[in-house]
Amino acid sequence: MSDPLGALEERKPFTFGELLVQPDGDEGWRVEPEGQSGEPREVAPDPELLRQLVRFDESGRYRPLSGARTLPRGWVVRAPDRHSLEAVLEAIYPLALVHLRQLREGKLRVVPLDEVLGRQSGRYAVARELSGEGRELVRRLLCGTCVRVPVWAGEEPAAEIPCPEACSVFVSFCREAALWERGEGAGGHDRSGEAAPEWADFEHPRNELRQAFLRLRGIVSARGAVR
Amino acid sequence: MKRGLLIVGHGSHLNPNSSAPVYEQAARVRARGAFDEVRVGFWKEEPSLARSLDAFEASDVTVVPLFISTGYFTEQVIPRELRLSGRVSRVDGRTVRYTEAIGAHPRLADVIVERALEAGASHEDALAVLGHGTPKNPNSERNVYRQSEYVAARKTFREVVTVFMDQEPNMREVLQLTRAPKVVIVPLFVADGWHVDETIPDELALDGACTRRDGRELRYARAVGTHPSIADVILAAAEEASQW
Repeated sequence: MSDPLGALEERKPFTFGELLVQPDGDEGWRVEPEGQSGEPREVAPDPELLRQLVRFDESGRYRPLSGARTLPRGWVVRAPDRHSLEAVLEAIYPLALVHLRQLREGKLRVVPLDEVLGRQSGRYAVARELSGEGRELVRRLLCGTCVRVPVWAGEEPAAEIPCPEACSVFVSFCREAALWERGEGAGGHDRSGEAAPEWADFEHPRNELRQAFLRLRGIVSARGAVR
Repeated sequence: MKRGLLIVGHGSHLNPNSSAPVYEQAARVRARGAFDEVRVGFWKEEPSLARSLDAFEASDVTVVPLFISTGYFTEQVIPRELRLSGRVSRVDGRTVRYTEAIGAHPRLADVIVERALEAGASHEDALAVLGHGTPKNPNSERNVYRQSEYVAARKTFREVVTVFMDQEPNMREVLQLTRAPKVVIVPLFVADGWHVDETIPDELALDGACTRRDGRELRYARAVGTHPSIADVILAAAEEASQW
């Protein structure tokens, strides 16, 4: 995998999260989801349009985590120059280029998880009570779905986008997980008649990440019964 | 010296529309060209509050919270996440100026008046400023009352009352609290979201923008926070902060 910043300088193709970025003409760049087939729809290199485009996955579900590996496919953007390309990448993966540059320059401010959870207040204060095993499982499940590499957990990105600090979705997941470990809220009332839950609605009994955590942590059985 | 502006909002993990007003107002403010950089940051979306200063090239950044209430978020969460030490802080070598929530700014009253006029209010009518309110936090009502006072002082409308969705005086009493034949309700909310579009109209049994009841007329305006003139309030707050 080529280093995105080096490839930018040398005008070489590179991958960036789920994107494939290739030189296009003398100064331009072509950006599209990697590995897509068929005739993609051309989208203007307008950051606001792109932000809207990647806000939902292909099933129409809201993507609150920009790095989630659920980028919709079927589109391509032609950025006329490097400035436009950087705005396109910023719209799809906020702060990713900034953090890559800071990492390369040794200036990336990395914040440990203890500090992030320790400073929470209000309804999120309980997140700091999540056990070490629970934190590790949240990291596996959530960061496993994300293109960013958690530098805050000691991982070292090869050429991927670094993540310097656990995000708000992570904190929110930790809050619920801490409550489940205490024996609160792991059952949940039957909401099977409702529409599919949002991706980050960890209070919903049918949320996939919640179900995976409860099962792998041994809080519920494979059949869904609270132990 | 480059000057930056950071507009911060709540955002949501569940509602994809809640951050839209922040992006819209940021685009308007950016178009005015008063700041070299205009960026956004969110509690529950990206860029996160905690990292939202990372991208600034500006050495002087003003942070304006697009919040109605002065309270938990503006006094605890935002300063903590941005590592602020007061009204003016030094963070990672930058000067960071932190204004009050736009809900506290006197210019917001102009936007409330504009929303009321758009909804058909005239000098003879009553204006009801509708805030969220909550019995859990007595501070949440403060800016709503403050804005009602600012609007009343302009004497644009015959009567100005304050009502709340979630505390007393409740919005359901709006006709008892006013005397004018026509009452215009202006929701003092950041977004046209679940409350403004669903909960409030449902609870008040409104028939769209204009409802006739007991020989009187109830008009319902759009949320204050989505009005284009909010950009003026943000810029006014930021300009004042530049004098600190």
